[in-house]
Amino acid sequence: MASSASSIDTSSARIKEGVAPLRAGQGYSFVLRRLHSLSGIVPIGAFLIEHFISNSEATKGVQAYNDQVKFLTSLPFVHVLEWVFIFLPLLYHGIYGLYIWYKGDSNVGEYPWTGNWLYTSQRWTGIIAFIYIAYHVIDMRFLGVHLMGGGYNNAFSKVWFDFQSPWTIAFYVIGIVAVSWHFAYGVWLFAAKWGLTIGDQARRRFGYVCAALAILLIGIGLWTITGFVQTPAGQVPYVEHD
Amino acid sequence: MANSKSVILKIKRQQTPESKPYWEEFELSYRPGMNVTSALMDIAANPVTRQGKPTTPVTYDSNCLEEICGSCAMIINGQAKMACSALIANLKQPITLEPFTKFPIIRDLAVDRSVLFENLKRVKAWVPVDGTYDLGSGPRQSSEMQEEAYPLSNCISCCCCMEACPQFNDKTGFVGAATIAQVRLFNSHPTGSALKTERLKVLMGDGGIQECGYAQNCVEVCPKELPLTKSIAAVGGQVMWQAVKDLFRT
Repeated sequence: MASSASSIDTSSARIKEGVAPLRAGQGYSFVLRRLHSLSGIVPIGAFLIEHFISNSEATKGVQAYNDQVKFLTSLPFVHVLEWVFIFLPLLYHGIYGLYIWYKGDSNVGEYPWTGNWLYTSQRWTGIIAFIYIAYHVIDMRFLGVHLMGGGYNNAFSKVWFDFQSPWTIAFYVIGIVAVSWHFAYGVWLFAAKWGLTIGDQARRRFGYVCAALAILLIGIGLWTITGFVQTPAGQVPYVEHD
Repeated sequence: MANSKSVILKIKRQQTPESKPYWEEFELSYRPGMNVTSALMDIAANPVTRQGKPTTPVTYDSNCLEEICGSCAMIINGQAKMACSALIANLKQPITLEPFTKFPIIRDLAVDRSVLFENLKRVKAWVPVDGTYDLGSGPRQSSEMQEEAYPLSNCISCCCCMEACPQFNDKTGFVGAATIAQVRLFNSHPTGSALKTERLKVLMGDGGIQECGYAQNCVEVCPKELPLTKSIAAVGGQVMWQAVKDLFRT
């Protein structure tokens, strides 16, 4: 018979080997994690919605789309706006997100339940979004015909020429679905973790709202793609595409 | 040979905390109402493997045998469960038994779960009434408060919620759902709430509530059906308010 005293001794000796207990007052993970959560909504999510709405102008034709790009690229302090509200938050959210993924141990094999699948899907849609957005930003913002500083008239044709490849369209569809899902479920997670939707019913109801948001965004995204794809070559001004 | 009246168990065994694990198979005759702890007792009574090789009885924790002490939690057919309430008739055979994977192994199916006790101490999961004189009776609690608090007080410290959590591991050092639920319980208590600010600040440290990824396995595996995800959301809100107060009012 082991005495209670000896079992207490083994416990205190072994606790160093397992998962560490809570480290009160140590580290910055609380601020960094909450900032990660918030940055996904504001400014990234807000920009995402603006971006989807602006791009849907493509369904109205070349001129409407180029005018929208003209409006956005001629905003005052546009370079400050894009670095402070788009590039830096995206870099932070993406890189810290990879770190969050590294720290979690997905276990849907053992526990194949809805919440656990959503947990895993948030990581997979996150990495797809990371790769897609990296490509999208480099291709559209930094390579080829420049749309900033008066280049707005080339906006529609720049996208249109890209969409001549079915592979690019496929990649955009995957990117739009992943980003929309990641954002909508991120809003749900934000509400749950920040204590806005506390009860089970509230979280379930808000789940329907977020699912509708995801479907709406995917719908707008795909509709926008058709705006480019269905525009005949004759309506698209030729642009030197290097 | 296995027939409809026999039970096959595959048990992952380990002699010492440092030694290599190995598997042993046992065949028992089925009795109505049999559960995993009673099967382990049968093995202890006749510790011979299915191949006829004499072995040692399997080490495991258990006490109450009625899902109230929390000690017999283990991995049963891949999932964290209480051995006492896992009825053999409801389990797919061969039944695999493994020790918890995220806690130091003492021997066989017995693991060291003292990290939960340590976490409960760090968040001061108690009502502070110690003193040198009688403080008298505490404030009355409404029946609504009691109804919220009672399910939280059902926690049996089995650690199933932590074992099943994808975020509870060496990399995060996440505190786990059980401790967060106890923070909610003691923060809601009229006298226990004296330590509310302290508890919330502790939960902001590394491994705190922020590590929750809302996979919601905790609430699914909890044998006592504690409202764990609701508690994480509620305490998450309390921690955020505390953080906002710390930021703007100090």
